[in-house]
Amino acid sequence: MMPTSTRGVLGHFYEPDDALAAAAKVRDAGWKHFDFLTPFPIHGMEDAMGQKKSWIPYATAVLALCGILFAQGLQNYVMVWDWPMNFGGKPHAAWPAFIPITFEAMVFWAALGSAIIAIIAGKKDTIPQPPPLLVKTGATVDKFVLWISATDPKWDAARAEAFVRSLGADGVTLVDVAPRPGSPFGGRSGRGEPGRTAGRIEQGHTDEGGADA
Amino acid sequence: MTRHEASPYATVMGDGQLTGRPTVYPGAGPYGGDLEVPEPLVTGGKTWADVDQDICMHAERFPTKRWWLAFSVALGFLGVLVFALITLFYAGMGIVGVNQPVSWGSFIINFVFWIGIGHAGTLISAVLFLFRQQWRTGINRAAEAMTLFAVACAGIFPIIHLGRPWFAYWLVPYPNARGPLWVNFNSALAWDIFAISTYGLVSLTFWYVGLLPDLATVRDRATHPWRKKLYNAMSFSWTGSHRAWRHYESAYMILAALATPLVFSVHTIVSFDFATSVMPGWHTTIFPPYFVIGAIFSGFAMVITLMTFMRGYFGMTHYITLNHMEAMAKILMFTGMMVGFAYSTEFFMAWYSGSEWEGFVFKNRAFGPYGWAYAIMFTCNAIVPQLFWFKAMRRNTWALFAVSILVNIGMWFERYVIVVTSLHRDFLPSSWGMYALTAWDYAILAGSFGLFFTLFLLFVRVLPVVAISEVKGVMDPKVARSNPSRAAAAAIQEA
Repeated sequence: MMPTSTRGVLGHFYEPDDALAAAAKVRDAGWKHFDFLTPFPIHGMEDAMGQKKSWIPYATAVLALCGILFAQGLQNYVMVWDWPMNFGGKPHAAWPAFIPITFEAMVFWAALGSAIIAIIAGKKDTIPQPPPLLVKTGATVDKFVLWISATDPKWDAARAEAFVRSLGADGVTLVDVAPRPGSPFGGRSGRGEPGRTAGRIEQGHTDEGGADA
Repeated sequence: MTRHEASPYATVMGDGQLTGRPTVYPGAGPYGGDLEVPEPLVTGGKTWADVDQDICMHAERFPTKRWWLAFSVALGFLGVLVFALITLFYAGMGIVGVNQPVSWGSFIINFVFWIGIGHAGTLISAVLFLFRQQWRTGINRAAEAMTLFAVACAGIFPIIHLGRPWFAYWLVPYPNARGPLWVNFNSALAWDIFAISTYGLVSLTFWYVGLLPDLATVRDRATHPWRKKLYNAMSFSWTGSHRAWRHYESAYMILAALATPLVFSVHTIVSFDFATSVMPGWHTTIFPPYFVIGAIFSGFAMVITLMTFMRGYFGMTHYITLNHMEAMAKILMFTGMMVGFAYSTEFFMAWYSGSEWEGFVFKNRAFGPYGWAYAIMFTCNAIVPQLFWFKAMRRNTWALFAVSILVNIGMWFERYVIVVTSLHRDFLPSSWGMYALTAWDYAILAGSFGLFFTLFLLFVRVLPVVAISEVKGVMDPKVARSNPSRAAAAAIQEA
């Protein structure tokens, strides 16, 4: 399952352009384990976050090749080796007749494989995320949420929070959710620094320190 | 800098204010040219939060009376299908119309018809995505669902056409205890199995991948803990992380790039079922492009039919605007002309080939005993869409709806003409015959519509009918952003 971080700091922006500018600043400040949670993908965010391009296309190429080999192997095995039949003296290895199934198998392997790998990669090739059932980020609605995980080598709660505020983010919150024993997610708050928001987080709309300021 | 500066998009409140033409600012473009600003894809000054509410709302409340009415009608027709199929399996193929010489009848017609319907969904989701046609965002979710349900309907027909459907699994090549007895990979019918099953599964994958972010939106709106957990599991705990988006976008692009040749290959292979035979009227090289374009044509007609309902029943006029409908009308007319061109080319080739049989089949097709079916086909498909040369007609919902229904009828008759006229009068006049659908043929055809609409009505109840995250991506952030000061003011007023 997805690595979930019980600790980190959240702060949101209201427009994609603000998020892009902020992402570049976080990258330049040397943070590694940070992420932007957004309602839709933002063009140019990979560069702003200092990420490499996705490696999914290489996986697709390998899968497509597997599909081709599978279809060619199956058809030649059946039609040439296991059950050769004489259709009007035509050759057994009638390769033009094998093209349609080869093509379909290539698409099938490449498409299904790429989708499955992309979903897994979205979980594995990432940093710990705020658990979606516990922390309401608003990132699926209309917020562009900066998330710095406590797993970052530079992590220091007070410094991270001050940094996110300095970017002009709204609703800056320190997340600290203690997992309940035996449950993948918590639901019980605790272990937070005194006076900090902890556990289930509801963010209000305020103009304090907002992008407009 | 002010963040709430007026956007020209904010003032467009509905269809009435859309013209279908861009606003032109003379001399404002690059290098001193004109700047053309297209009209917004979402009207009504909607915010991103409004999008969630407007689209998820339908799946979050108790079904309306109108939904129950539509659902019970659809379910009734599905009942007809189940009853007809049970009778067919019990009594045998004798109760339907196929016999010699017309041994391919309504089942093959319906199969090609439904597969064709499905193609527009893939065209909208994949081809228009690659061409960066942003208006697709409003309609692609429902169109892809239409594809899946159309393929589900299509899948029934080859199986019942077998006559002994309980042996349908023999079509699948797997090591078995019958020899092993393999399928013949040189046969177009074996290619069909691979094409249709690949098409169904890849369409499902494409649709589901597109759904992931929206399932997370539904999860975050859910109040019941089980509903939350269910949608969370379905969205694979989607958080909107950009580290996931980057792989997601890459995979989505790849799926579009794979689905594009796939959609062309599928109907090409369906046409091979006919074209690789030696029947006059079927044995032609024009069949693959002719079938593919006919499929897209009929599919767009069905999309227009469904979108008219979505606009009317679900009030989606802000997301599926008249501009969307006009764009679809243009594609419908364009593909209609290509289909008309193919009809004419067939006649030219029948004459130009000098083949006596080919020439006879086409004369018989247009002027023989099935001339009425040819007339319906040609009128509905090649002539009626010409209405859309007029902008007023492209933007008239009633005209769009009427034409879409006529095109669906015309495209069903196209397959009727292709299948029946080539078979009913073949090389030997002594074995000529006629074909008529029996009541059971009609029941199964009507029942397949019942299955289609039952599935579609269930879909609109449980899943977001518009691709929320994609629509949000094409909205103007200046209009759509959440406005904290407005929210704070509202809170103060309430208090």
